[in-house]
Amino acid sequence: MKRVRRSQVEIEGKLRERTEVVEEDPSPPWDDRARLRVAGRPHPRLDGRAKASGAAIYTQDVGLPGMLHARILRSPHACARVLSVDASAALALDGVRAVLTQENAAAIPWYGGTTRLLERTVRYAGDEVAVVAAEDEETAEDALHLIRVRYARRRPVLDPGTAPRGGKPSVYTRGNARKAVSGAPVVVAGSYRTPAALHQAFETHGSVARWEGEHLTVWDSTQHIFGVRKELAAALGLPLHRVRVISTFMGGGFGAKNECGKYTVFAALLARRTGRPVRCLLTRAEESLAAGCRHATVQTLRLGARRDGRLLGIEHRSLCDVGAYGTDGPMPVGGPARTLYRCAAVRTEEVPVRTNTGPHTAFRAPGYVEGTFALERAMDRVAEACGLDPLEVRLRNYSPGDPRGFRYTRKGLRECYRIGAARIGWRRRARLGRRGTSLRGLGLASQVWPAGGAPPSHAVVKVNPDATAEVLIGTQDIGTGTRTVLAQIAAEELSLRARDVTVLLGDTGAGPYSLLSAGSLTTASAGPAVRAAARDARQQLEELATGLARGKGGRPGPREVCREIGDAMVIGRGARGPNPEGLKACSFGAHFAEVEVDAETGEVRIVRYVAVHEVGRVVNPLTASSQVEGGVLMGIGFALLERRIEDPATGRGIAVDLLDYKLPTALDLPPIEVLFVPGADPRATTIGAKGLGEPPIIAAPAAIANAVAHAVGADLPELPLTPDRVLEAIARGRRAP
Amino acid sequence: MRAFEYLSPKTLEAASAAVRTAPEGARIIAGGQDLLGELKERIATPGRVVSLKAVPGLRGIREESGSLRIGALATVQEVAESPLVREKAPALAEAATSVGTPQIRALGTVGGNLCQRPRCWYYRLADFPCLKKGGGTCFAVEGDSRYHAILGGGPCHIVHPSDLAVALVALDASVEVVGAKGRRTIPIADLYALPAVDASRETTLAPDEIVAEVSVPAGARSAFRKFREKLSLDFAVVAAAVALGPKGPRVALGGVAPVPWRSREAEAALGAKPVTAESAAAAATAALAPAKPLKNNRYKVPLACAVLRRTILAAAGVADPGPPAPPATPAPTKKAGEDF
Ligand SMILES: Cc1cc2nc3c(=O)[nH]c(=O)nc-3n(C[C@H](O)[C@H](O)[C@H](O)COP(=O)(O)OP(=O)(O)OC[C@H]3O[C@@H](n4cnc5c(N)ncnc54)[C@H](O)[C@@H]3O)c2cc1C
Repeated sequence: MKRVRRSQVEIEGKLRERTEVVEEDPSPPWDDRARLRVAGRPHPRLDGRAKASGAAIYTQDVGLPGMLHARILRSPHACARVLSVDASAALALDGVRAVLTQENAAAIPWYGGTTRLLERTVRYAGDEVAVVAAEDEETAEDALHLIRVRYARRRPVLDPGTAPRGGKPSVYTRGNARKAVSGAPVVVAGSYRTPAALHQAFETHGSVARWEGEHLTVWDSTQHIFGVRKELAAALGLPLHRVRVISTFMGGGFGAKNECGKYTVFAALLARRTGRPVRCLLTRAEESLAAGCRHATVQTLRLGARRDGRLLGIEHRSLCDVGAYGTDGPMPVGGPARTLYRCAAVRTEEVPVRTNTGPHTAFRAPGYVEGTFALERAMDRVAEACGLDPLEVRLRNYSPGDPRGFRYTRKGLRECYRIGAARIGWRRRARLGRRGTSLRGLGLASQVWPAGGAPPSHAVVKVNPDATAEVLIGTQDIGTGTRTVLAQIAAEELSLRARDVTVLLGDTGAGPYSLLSAGSLTTASAGPAVRAAARDARQQLEELATGLARGKGGRPGPREVCREIGDAMVIGRGARGPNPEGLKACSFGAHFAEVEVDAETGEVRIVRYVAVHEVGRVVNPLTASSQVEGGVLMGIGFALLERRIEDPATGRGIAVDLLDYKLPTALDLPPIEVLFVPGADPRATTIGAKGLGEPPIIAAPAAIANAVAHAVGADLPELPLTPDRVLEAIARGRRAP
Repeated sequence: MRAFEYLSPKTLEAASAAVRTAPEGARIIAGGQDLLGELKERIATPGRVVSLKAVPGLRGIREESGSLRIGALATVQEVAESPLVREKAPALAEAATSVGTPQIRALGTVGGNLCQRPRCWYYRLADFPCLKKGGGTCFAVEGDSRYHAILGGGPCHIVHPSDLAVALVALDASVEVVGAKGRRTIPIADLYALPAVDASRETTLAPDEIVAEVSVPAGARSAFRKFREKLSLDFAVVAAAVALGPKGPRVALGGVAPVPWRSREAEAALGAKPVTAESAAAAATAALAPAKPLKNNRYKVPLACAVLRRTILAAAGVADPGPPAPPATPAPTKKAGEDF
């Protein structure tokens, strides 16, 4: 039965009020006493072989008969008015089938209505100006060079410090933070900067669109098939049932693929115009210019504390460069300051500013990665000012509940600290020092992230006559192992092996609605839905067993029931139940890094890395570990290497390939030790699990920066920690008393 | 990429002629690791591409009368793995090992590595009509110069990208080239010229001249060190090669200048005496004394100093006692983080 209620959900670190349709889930939660055979145990990815062998079909692999290739012409100017677009020479080129420009493309509103699909004003170098569809990619590319565009250039705004507001600031207060900080015996103040960073998913953004009469099918590399369906249908003025979105295999998104992209609409429009399927994929350079970024921040932070290290007040203000459009407001950079520590007086303010640079999007723990870096750097400075160990300061400010006044379903951060400190040998910290030109440092950082999942998510489980099963669910596996984890959950309920279950996901035409795969939502949202559906199927099988029970033969087992009922198959249905009222479900973690800094070159080498997380039940320790390793890798990149770079004069992106945009390689990684706090969180979800998508990146840059600061004896106010900055910090450290 | 005619002649002379006679310009292709990128970005738009693959005899690495002779088509990986190179010209083997990634080393050739074009982002992006592309501006001067030249720059401020060239300059190698006027052999240092001579190119080769072979005097003690931000898939921020041969020390720096930079200042500071920790430090300081950093690359000065000091010690087999006084550090620049 469905009912309606008002509730608060926290998605991607943003607290929102919403009306929620609630469908109770009667499944008794799997707590620590639940005896599970499949869920909670390591299981190799069910699709691992298909992926490793190239059999898995990603959007990039979709090739349809007669398919055309689209390429996008982008503005080279960061701010300009398009005076005219002359595509006649491009259209005359052999093999070119259509060109979309502002003159002939529908005026579809984009970026929350602030612009249109193709507009006369271009607001960043990379903004879309025209699109060509041709028989092959090379011809489409050639055609781009034949389009004549006249621009009236304007001076771009590039400096966030002087940029205009890009929306309303988001302010949070409890107590009087200014007074509390100003009156505190110990005050630590600082300004911290983080760069715009790129997602660089290995599969670039892209879609293939095909019309069959009035029906449109789109293959899309997306984190939200139903979201793309909704936005695409709205853009094209189609009813939902005529749009189908497929994303069977997906090569990473990290938040940049939460929404419908312009390329999807281009593909659909060009396919309609030409009567041919159209593929529109971004190149690596376009991916670097126009596919979103983690927005740059300039954070100012003041912490007031007692001499014993206890926090009295936190003031945090962040300037967030949301870029040319960036419609999702500023990201919750103040989230960690609001929720990580017990502190009665807190004020956070996130101020969006608008520059003529590529628009930002969500990016794995948006805001929290940046905010944790600043807060945890400052916490180490509080420790130093009070003559305390950094871990001790964190324990003295430990908040058992959400300091905004909620209780948690469970908080295992204290255990994370304990396990991680023991593993890395935290007690050695005071003894680490200099050997020749090598400076050693140990650092830690803490992490909180709302990760309890949410409704709505629906699932259907079909049980076959041979006692195998299929799960139908409209979620997507964005590379995290969702397929395997959901199969494990269904198999657990149905007393099957995981490989007896096929999970059909990533197709709006096949599975019922499930949430977007972002914000650490998927396992905690889709997982309980699948469990409920499997449980429903099992209960039906049990009832049938009673009906089929023969006097002497006794009651048949599930296998026999399946065989006996044959094609009159059992179909289970389930929905994700509501979140517990008045409780917050968060995932927690603590990361520990040991670094070696070369005092002469500024080189930072991470020699040991320990990541400890509390996420309730770990449904699959193998996929969970790889999730943590991937998150730490990404955090290392953000800490040491990565940043989007624009030419300061023109605003054009200049680090637009994987040589200049520096992602860490295998050789740059330390061994990453991954540990989980044991035990389920049955109050969070019926499977006892919480989300793990974002947690592993959150603490990494902060832990590394703290380790480097410890090694060099100076603060590190800006990421990434490139040699120039580290050398400069070493010089400051040497000058310090 | 612009459509082009593809030729694969059987001799270097024919290849050179094919370049010379091309009506709409031609480029040599060896492993294609660098050229393909330029073609795809439309930085290069030749009407003809001339492959060296079918020319016999360009691949081997052999020793002949006290020199290693390395064919232009020998791959970077073959150089890295060659026992001969490792033993007789270790700096070159170390330089080759540090190049790119295994895939790039497997396809990239020695000739292509020496003649590769710079990685300057302004050069590599078609939207910037820079000096090197025939335009009027070096965008690095007002733009982002964090990886640009600190020595020998102007009017163009690229750094030369080849690691092999740095090692070869220190090892006093020479290059045999084939062109319209036949064969000639030139010292490797003369293969390169500063942008002050001609900003549009890095080498002194005529467009139809082809590198056929590199000859490296065998047996000098030598070392190569490279500082990069990542341990794979990264060009040198700073590199250094040092050889201690019978004619005295030879010192070369990479990643700091538009050419592989020979430092006569460092060589003079080392002199003919055995290397000591003090002389290595003094030589490194001398090498960087003439540095003129741009807006964003001041940090490269102490970095190059450190890398060179260590390379000298490594070549000489002297243990590193660490830098003498506090190592040179960039003058503190006010950063946003110090506002409070
Ligand atoms: C991602 C990446 C990373 C790299 N990292 C490094 C690095 O760390 N260190 C480093 O040193 N290099 C690096 N390189 C460069 C790489 O080593 C060179 O691209 C490669 O060696 C070029 O060799 P090739 O045979 O592929 O040359 P090609 O691409 O075929 O040619 C390169 C250029 O040289 C010319 N040319 C080729 N052969 C000859 C010849 N015999 N005579 C005259 N001209 C010739 C061509 O016309 C062209 O202009 C990297 C390249 C890439 C793409």
